[in-house]
Amino acid sequence: MIAFLAASVLAASVLAARVGAAAQTAHENIASSCAGCHAAQARTQPETPMGRALQWPDLDPLLKSHPDLTFRKGAYAYTVETRQNQTVYSVTDGTRTISLPIHWSFGKGAQTWVLEKDGELYESMVSYYPSIDALEITTGDADLTPQNLDEAVGRKLRKTEPKDCFGCHSTNGVLNGALTLKTVEPGVTCEHCHTGATSHMIAAQGGEFDTPPPDLKKLSSEDISNFCGQCHRTWETVVRSSWRGEVDVRFQPFRLANSKCFDGTDPRISCIACHDPHQDLVTSESSYDGKCLACHASKNASAPAAGHSDAKACTVASTNCVSCHMPKVKLPNGLVTFHDHEIRIVKPGAPYPD
Amino acid sequence: MVLIKSRQKRVCTVLIAAFMLLACFPRATAQSAPESDLIEQASAARMQNDIPRAIELYSRAVEVNPKWPDGWWFLGSLQYGTGAYIPARDALSHYIGMIPSAGPAIALRGLCEFETGQYTEALGDIQHGISLGAANQPRNEQILRYHEALLETRLGNYASALKTYTFFAKNGVTNPELLVAIGLAGLRMPLLPKDVSTEQQPLVSAAGDAAYRFLAGDEQSATQAFQKLFRVYPSAPNAHFLYGYLLFATDPDAALAEFLQELKLAPSNADASVMAAWALLLRNRAPEALPHAQNAASEAPKLPSAQLVLGKSLMETGDLNGALEHLQQALQLEPDNLETHLALAKAYSKSGRKEEARRERAVSLQLTKGNATAN
Repeated sequence: MIAFLAASVLAASVLAARVGAAAQTAHENIASSCAGCHAAQARTQPETPMGRALQWPDLDPLLKSHPDLTFRKGAYAYTVETRQNQTVYSVTDGTRTISLPIHWSFGKGAQTWVLEKDGELYESMVSYYPSIDALEITTGDADLTPQNLDEAVGRKLRKTEPKDCFGCHSTNGVLNGALTLKTVEPGVTCEHCHTGATSHMIAAQGGEFDTPPPDLKKLSSEDISNFCGQCHRTWETVVRSSWRGEVDVRFQPFRLANSKCFDGTDPRISCIACHDPHQDLVTSESSYDGKCLACHASKNASAPAAGHSDAKACTVASTNCVSCHMPKVKLPNGLVTFHDHEIRIVKPGAPYPD
Repeated sequence: MVLIKSRQKRVCTVLIAAFMLLACFPRATAQSAPESDLIEQASAARMQNDIPRAIELYSRAVEVNPKWPDGWWFLGSLQYGTGAYIPARDALSHYIGMIPSAGPAIALRGLCEFETGQYTEALGDIQHGISLGAANQPRNEQILRYHEALLETRLGNYASALKTYTFFAKNGVTNPELLVAIGLAGLRMPLLPKDVSTEQQPLVSAAGDAAYRFLAGDEQSATQAFQKLFRVYPSAPNAHFLYGYLLFATDPDAALAEFLQELKLAPSNADASVMAAWALLLRNRAPEALPHAQNAASEAPKLPSAQLVLGKSLMETGDLNGALEHLQQALQLEPDNLETHLALAKAYSKSGRKEEARRERAVSLQLTKGNATAN
């Protein structure tokens, strides 16, 4: 099994660049074909963080704009160098250097690289963080203390991890439950969420329009949380894994379900009530006010919103709700910040609710 | 069995040695000690290895003063060494009654109960003893973990037994009897190694060997051992289930294939049906999981996991009322199962029963509180 995996990974690495270009074209073809009917979504989605959840290095704007990234920790010095569409990740202890080509860039803002070495896949020990515009140790790997140069390259992925990584960050990376790197399409494309989109598109091109993929808008809030949670982590996954503390702030479906106001059957509190996955993330806090006020009447209103007689109006403000009720929380490494989706009345000095 | 006996004697020696030290503390002797003559005579007999005389003297001493804890300890441990398990158990119970946190004594009582066939009590005492530090020394740990796993198998807790046996595989401890013991857990046979018939021995040993290799982390060698096992014993009950069970954490698809193979051989295997359903549910293939879950619940309605997978399968295929009914049954059968509470939280949430969903979420968080890790 291990030998088979190693062989497939090696084969994939050889093919990666060539297949990458083909898959990129396929991605564009699908998006452009879908755009025939779904123009608005197809225009904006490819540039969203999900659309760029995985990028080919030669098409990665971050690597192009940062051709010389460097970092040192302890005895090891890291470089990520981009020259003429080729990016190489290197680590040296001063006497020996390991250099590996980067085939896969994970993430649009903060970025980590999955590396292939001796038939195994590794998560790069260092990542790029926009908050410092530089490299730092990859989130979750701060406690690793490499004993030699090989270990300093990164964290070797456990057997099932590559499937999870590529399963979420790419499209068609996992087919029939198996990691198939040669079919990877970068990022989350139409087919990733709308299973059956490709066959629907082909049918539509032949004039058949009665084969649409399941309508995700019809899912309940609980189901939407679990659907998005396949990558953003479901409530169950987080509990089962016993992840606790500020690190779990990045698992929004988990945090949201902990909110007192979460109701699995109320569409006003689902992921897609506030976020359009086809659009870039809206960062203006006030733009979410309307979502909150859909349940919590403004203090100036005469009656609470329909269907939620127990949803109280805020006595402090009627704008920028999320600035107080969904405070920003930094991951323990201080490099990435998320709005806490556990919606609540935050008491001064209160510990992170867990 | 000779091996177990010799090991038991060794652990007894170590456990006793540990407590000899405690017994020397002034606390112990000052606490309700009988006449010093009797103590000295008993101690001398023990030191001279005159065990029958020592037992007699300690028996008289605790008769004179039943509140003398050390007397009960020496009496119980010496009786255990002679194979007088029932009086040893009772003497140790007197000691534990006075010193409830005495891990080695509790563990030794568990070993007595193992010998007297009080398997449930034995497992409880051994685990309690371990939690109180009785397995702090490597030799003690081997003996106590081995008996713990034997008892888990004997009581039908096969998954726990395999988990316990991982300790031996990871530490490279092996011997023929251990492989038989692992084979029993793997093939889900509620027996002790001594109860395995001569005809069954090769199959059980081969299954144990394959599982041992897997638990030791040598998957390649384990794969070969399992393939050989399947060739030699193509219809052995639970052999494919065992391989699937071991593969499940790292390769759920390969595990599913093994569970389905097991069901081909034994369609009424409720455990295999449960695992097949579970593997399919994890792959978001609930409609395929449902018939397996129904089969499991039909074959073993009192099996909590059967009710759980049926509840989950019904939930994921849209029958929320049916889901809640079976999840409630699973909860009644096993109140502290995290997966049942997780499933109930989801089912209540999907049903719009917000407060009940919150309650189940709170229980789930509570159940996992002690395991908290940062990712």
